[in-house]
Amino acid sequence: MASNRRGVGMSAFSNSAISADQYARHGQTLRSNHAEALANQLSVFQAALHNFSLTHAKDIRQNPQFRAEFARMCHAIGVDPLAGSNVKGSAGASGKTGSVWAKMLGSSVNDFYFELAVRVVEVCRETRAENGGMIAVSEMRKRIEKGRGIIGGGIDVTDDDIERALESLVPLGGGFKIVPLGSSRFIRSVPKELNLDQSTVLEVMQILGHVTVSMLQANLGWERARAIAVIDDLVADSLVWVDSQADETEYWSPAAMHDG
Amino acid sequence: MASSSSSPAPPTLTSAYAAPPPTSISSQIASTTFTFPTYTSFPPFYTLQPNLTTRARQLTLWSNLLTTYCAHHRLFKLSLSFLPANLFANPSIHRTLSQPDIRTVLDHLALPANGGRVEWIPTSSRSEKPNSCWVYWRTPAEWADAIYGWVDETGQKGAVLTVYEIREGEAVQSQEWRGMDEELLRKVLSVLVKRGKAQIFGQEETAGVKFF
Repeated sequence: MASNRRGVGMSAFSNSAISADQYARHGQTLRSNHAEALANQLSVFQAALHNFSLTHAKDIRQNPQFRAEFARMCHAIGVDPLAGSNVKGSAGASGKTGSVWAKMLGSSVNDFYFELAVRVVEVCRETRAENGGMIAVSEMRKRIEKGRGIIGGGIDVTDDDIERALESLVPLGGGFKIVPLGSSRFIRSVPKELNLDQSTVLEVMQILGHVTVSMLQANLGWERARAIAVIDDLVADSLVWVDSQADETEYWSPAAMHDG
Repeated sequence: MASSSSSPAPPTLTSAYAAPPPTSISSQIASTTFTFPTYTSFPPFYTLQPNLTTRARQLTLWSNLLTTYCAHHRLFKLSLSFLPANLFANPSIHRTLSQPDIRTVLDHLALPANGGRVEWIPTSSRSEKPNSCWVYWRTPAEWADAIYGWVDETGQKGAVLTVYEIREGEAVQSQEWRGMDEELLRKVLSVLVKRGKAQIFGQEETAGVKFF
């Protein structure tokens, strides 16, 4: 440390040059020390986390809040617990960390999300004829909870879990997508995308339960032909059910059909 | 699946037209109020859906409703002139499946491909459309298994039982087939006869049945 911080005159100039250099080198030393300290801390943390995940694998599996927090923490430090090689954040240290994570978390958490994803795909297939390939995440959760097997057999499954499980399917293609409709989130399992008019009508249905052509005309300011065309599309895609016993034909979203 | 098994079999998800799981009679009688599934409060359920994919699903739901309702109330037969008030209608939402649509649903369910859970009972005149049908919440083959299983388990092979005993006897009070229409029971027994498991002699209700 320079004793003469505030040198004056020419000596000050050379002093400051020297201190700048010294600071620069010092800064570099600090940085490399920090990096080393950080790497050490990280490996200590990894080891602790490894032990933690082994002893708490059961909790990770069975406690949805715990699981969500765990996943959030992983994300925060730049690691995706589901896909060991798919790593966000700085390349250097995390590159190595990523693959170690996959081993660390290993079977328990991965199995859970994998089984959940399989179950989600099954339910989509089972319900496709009823809902045209659009099912609310909340309905999916209810159906899974009622089911049998490892998933649903007493293990709490949350909407968050379902969405994470679906994300893990993304690399496989297969066209499963989360579609927000109004305040709800839906899983779309058919390739056909909804156009804006169709989404709008489905959103209105989420709120009102059902629509009629007149309601669409009145509330959205659509011409009759347009309203009819959109409704026909939705019926053709088996996305809505028809009730012809009302004063005016009503079109219902199947989402409410099995609500307890 | 024979006699009164107290642990229900898990529902088969693979069959769209699976029958309700076997439960003992006592548990059915105890809860005399049938719990209608939520979809019976869904107005479109009572309109035959124009989209065929949706309709296929709708008909599956009708099949499930029909078989579980009839199993609960132990109805073996439906007559279109005297239908239970709340089976094909939900008065609280003012919706009814129309008579022609009821027939369409029953026709659909009568097809073997759809589970064959309904069988029209032929009328005396060929030109008339049948007005009543059996509802097979258990198929005749399943009934045959159940009855034969009961005979076997109760050590009654070789004994002679009357048709009346099998339908209404004290020994069958807790069996699912208690009170079965005689005509249906004879159908079931003839399945066993064809399998070589039973023989019927005599006529009417005093007819005797021997099981092998």
